[in-house]
Amino acid sequence: MKNPGRRAHLSTFLRSFLIQASWNNRTMIGGGFAFAMLPVLRRLHRGDPEGFREALQRHSEHFNAHPYMADLALGAACRMEEEERDPEEIRRFKLAVRGPLGSLGDALIWVGWRPATVLAALVLALAGAPPGATVFFFLVLYNLGHLALRAWGFRVGLEWGSQVGNPLRTVALPKQADRFAAVGVFLLGGLVGLALGRSWAGDSWPLLLLGVTGGIWGFWLGSLVGQRVWRFTFWGISGAIGLIFLVGWFG
Amino acid sequence: MELLPLTLLGGLLALDGTSLGQFMISRPLVAGVLTGWMVGDPVLGLLIGGILEVYFISIFPAGGAEFPEGGPPTLVAVATGAAVSGPAGVALGALLGFLLSRLSAHSVRILRKINGRLAPDPSRMEVTPSRIVWAHFGGLVFDFSRGCLLSLVGLVTGQWVASAASEAWPLEMPGTLALLAIGASIPAGAFLGSLGGWRRRGGLLGAGLAGFLLASLVL
Repeated sequence: MKNPGRRAHLSTFLRSFLIQASWNNRTMIGGGFAFAMLPVLRRLHRGDPEGFREALQRHSEHFNAHPYMADLALGAACRMEEEERDPEEIRRFKLAVRGPLGSLGDALIWVGWRPATVLAALVLALAGAPPGATVFFFLVLYNLGHLALRAWGFRVGLEWGSQVGNPLRTVALPKQADRFAAVGVFLLGGLVGLALGRSWAGDSWPLLLLGVTGGIWGFWLGSLVGQRVWRFTFWGISGAIGLIFLVGWFG
Repeated sequence: MELLPLTLLGGLLALDGTSLGQFMISRPLVAGVLTGWMVGDPVLGLLIGGILEVYFISIFPAGGAEFPEGGPPTLVAVATGAAVSGPAGVALGALLGFLLSRLSAHSVRILRKINGRLAPDPSRMEVTPSRIVWAHFGGLVFDFSRGCLLSLVGLVTGQWVASAASEAWPLEMPGTLALLAIGASIPAGAFLGSLGGWRRRGGLLGAGLAGFLLASLVL
């Protein structure tokens, strides 16, 4: 097995933070994958320009995954290149992992970790924390998870290569994603509760009643339609604000 | 309003959204407070950023899906909100934020097309290390420029309509916040819906609501 050295691995890991910089519809993050692999491939194919060109070519082909989970595929691809595995096997491996790494990352980070941490920060803000403390809390908490996941993924990929499914099964990431989602829902309830508690202390009861009634309808509608509701919401609220401005302007 | 530093911050926020790291500096909550500091009103930044954050809670960039961006639109919302004080500022800022986030979704689509032309096509055997690196840094430059341009357009528009809007908003602050809260309840519901809905998560939502409501009334 060839060894490109720790510096090449570190360079590939750091480059993975830029993996989406050339995101496009043809190769998605394929270009970013090749960009990140460059230091390792250069070391492995020193004195073999044709082998280097071929390796770079196959790693710039279409690939997509959650950007944080892509580190796992990067680590595994490095390991397979170091073991001089058959190029077709490496291609098949990348094809096999891109779907699961995408959906797993979406569930773990976009649906679980990010909403849970941001809702925790919003609860903190509504409880009276100053702006700086709120933002600091969110950024530190979120990025602790973010950086830990990237570093773990790259290390595990390097260690296990094409057998990277084994450690993935052990840590049961879908179960973690479900736990984060549960925390997020609890904190969403908490945010609504805190907002209601603060409005309760005010003296505008008709407005509170209107807000609660409208909020319940809105919440119910959103839960029915699901994620694609944002288009309708953004146009709807923009229209409502614009209309009120017009009424105020002419009224 | 310092147009140049705010425009540059808009470029950085756009970069964090997808191209560079995704450390979540571009989330409305963070972008709002950062802009608030720059315009001298971090509390307003937290208020507008916090409200917009709930609108963005159920949006995530899965695969090649088109999605609205939170960073530069929040920057424009807060800067405009600070230029027009009071509830009119919050309403106008939010309005510009929503409209700009729709525009940003289109600009991301254009960026992806540009990236497609910059990136070497592996099927045509045109991949070289220098082309990979140039396509990558070219993508970063275009994304940064896109964020700057979006922010500049939004900031100039905000300044332009600010004086007219300040007189035209009839609602007081509680009414303005109630309107935005009703709108925010829709994506919040969508967030619950995407996690299994009322049947699976209703109990947890209720527990959180009751617990925090009680705590806020008692404490």
